[in-house]
Amino acid sequence: MTPSRRRRSGVHAVSIEVPSRTAAPTFASVAEACLDDVYGYLLYLTRNNAVAEDLTGETFEAAFRRWRRFDPRRGTPRAWLLAIARTTALDWFRADGRRRRREERVGATEARVATQEAFEGFSPVLEAGLRELSAGEREVVALRVVLELDGEETARLLGISPTAVSTRLHRALAKLEERMRHDDVA
Amino acid sequence: MTSPDLSPELAALLRSSRPTASAELRARVRRFGQPASAPAEPVWTRLRLPSQRAALVVLPAAAALAIASAGVLGIARSDAPTPQAARDASTATAEKGALQSGESAVPDMPTQGVAAQDPAIAPAISPAIAPGDDRAQRINATMTVEVENSNGVSSSAQKALDLTRRLGGHVVSASVATGQGANASLTLRVPVTRVQEAIAGLSALGTIVSQQVSIEDLQTTLDQLERRERSVRAQIALLVARLDSDSLDAETRARFESRLKNLRTELRSLRGGIAGTNAEARMATIQLNVITPETSGVVPTSSRLDRTLDEALNVLVWEGVVTLAIIIVAAPFALLLLAVWFGNRFYRRREEDRLLAI
Repeated sequence: MTPSRRRRSGVHAVSIEVPSRTAAPTFASVAEACLDDVYGYLLYLTRNNAVAEDLTGETFEAAFRRWRRFDPRRGTPRAWLLAIARTTALDWFRADGRRRRREERVGATEARVATQEAFEGFSPVLEAGLRELSAGEREVVALRVVLELDGEETARLLGISPTAVSTRLHRALAKLEERMRHDDVA
Repeated sequence: MTSPDLSPELAALLRSSRPTASAELRARVRRFGQPASAPAEPVWTRLRLPSQRAALVVLPAAAALAIASAGVLGIARSDAPTPQAARDASTATAEKGALQSGESAVPDMPTQGVAAQDPAIAPAISPAIAPGDDRAQRINATMTVEVENSNGVSSSAQKALDLTRRLGGHVVSASVATGQGANASLTLRVPVTRVQEAIAGLSALGTIVSQQVSIEDLQTTLDQLERRERSVRAQIALLVARLDSDSLDAETRARFESRLKNLRTELRSLRGGIAGTNAEARMATIQLNVITPETSGVVPTSSRLDRTLDEALNVLVWEGVVTLAIIIVAAPFALLLLAVWFGNRFYRRREEDRLLAI
């Protein structure tokens, strides 16, 4: 089955150039089509351009190693890549947490501040709003709003129920709207 | 995006500022698509099947193997004699040996479902009831033959009576019931010298369902009786000679006469016993039961296909039992693994929530 057959109504699907109807997409074509999505997702998640770039590279490296195991019948290439990206990001969060605890023990906080400030490429209002959200909230905004995945696909990716996705998205958008209204008033 | 919580302005803002990868990152990712960078695939990954697909292959394969093995074993076992038939054969052999040795024996020869006309069975039966040389023996035979229906029961009973009379025997008792649950029970006495002929004739009335022959040696008893008779005769002769003399006093004569009287009584009893034993040894008793399939509940002889299916079913049942046993043994471990899996999943979710809460 080609990826287009699994599209759902209202879902933004990645157009992948497929040489013929029966031939499977190549890794290069999938990577080209999904690179911005993966990078954007990781940027929302980590709030750091450099980290997001590194993690994107790691994601595609891992995806390339596992490419033969990819089964188009079980999901779109984009969802598969985003799942790998999420695992990669969680590993980074763990490592970052350990590093942060080590730094706290020795009193070094400069590196952390530098990391926090590397979140660029957005309008100041949006950037400020996104800073108010937790990683989990930014993640669901990125998946549902920016990448336009549907509720079920997002739920599968996050390993939670569609209802939990809706709740989390509602909370994130409310906080974001609130923050942006506050900025407008100010 | 269909969320009602999202204002158009916010949606436009978020989508317009959609991040794009830098040229450096794009170039870096493109390198992965080059053929030269393709990693060597380990052999095991090529052999690896996804668990669901493996289950789809393994489960039907296991079921097919179980059914095939049951079929093969069923065919193989349908050739071999059934345990019942093997027991019949061994019983017949043992009986034959016991009878030839002249000892008493009570062999049980159930030949369920075996036609009396079967030449393989007939020789095993005939010697079993052969009377021993000149020894006095009590022969009792009990046999059950199955006929097709109620009419067969009455005609077989009649034939049995005719046969008995023709062989010089007589009927001790006869009970014949026809209609629903038809059966006949006959007690026949035939001369020992013609018992083989009688058994053969009765066996031909229908299918032998069971047959039991017992032979008890009476010669020892007869010899004892005859010895005692000779002794009593001698004592009587001696007493008569004494009593004929005149030298006996009255008291002795009275004692001798009393003893002579007792001896003559005993002699009469002994003669009766000897005559009875000889009569017992001259005639064999045959208890004949005639039944129908309806009354016997005997299952007709199964065909080879039936036997194959039965054996295959037995094998399948055993395979099921073994599988069930394995499941029962493995179930606690599976539950434990499941609990560990759920625990690990729960822990991972909690950890993810904690990591993404920042």
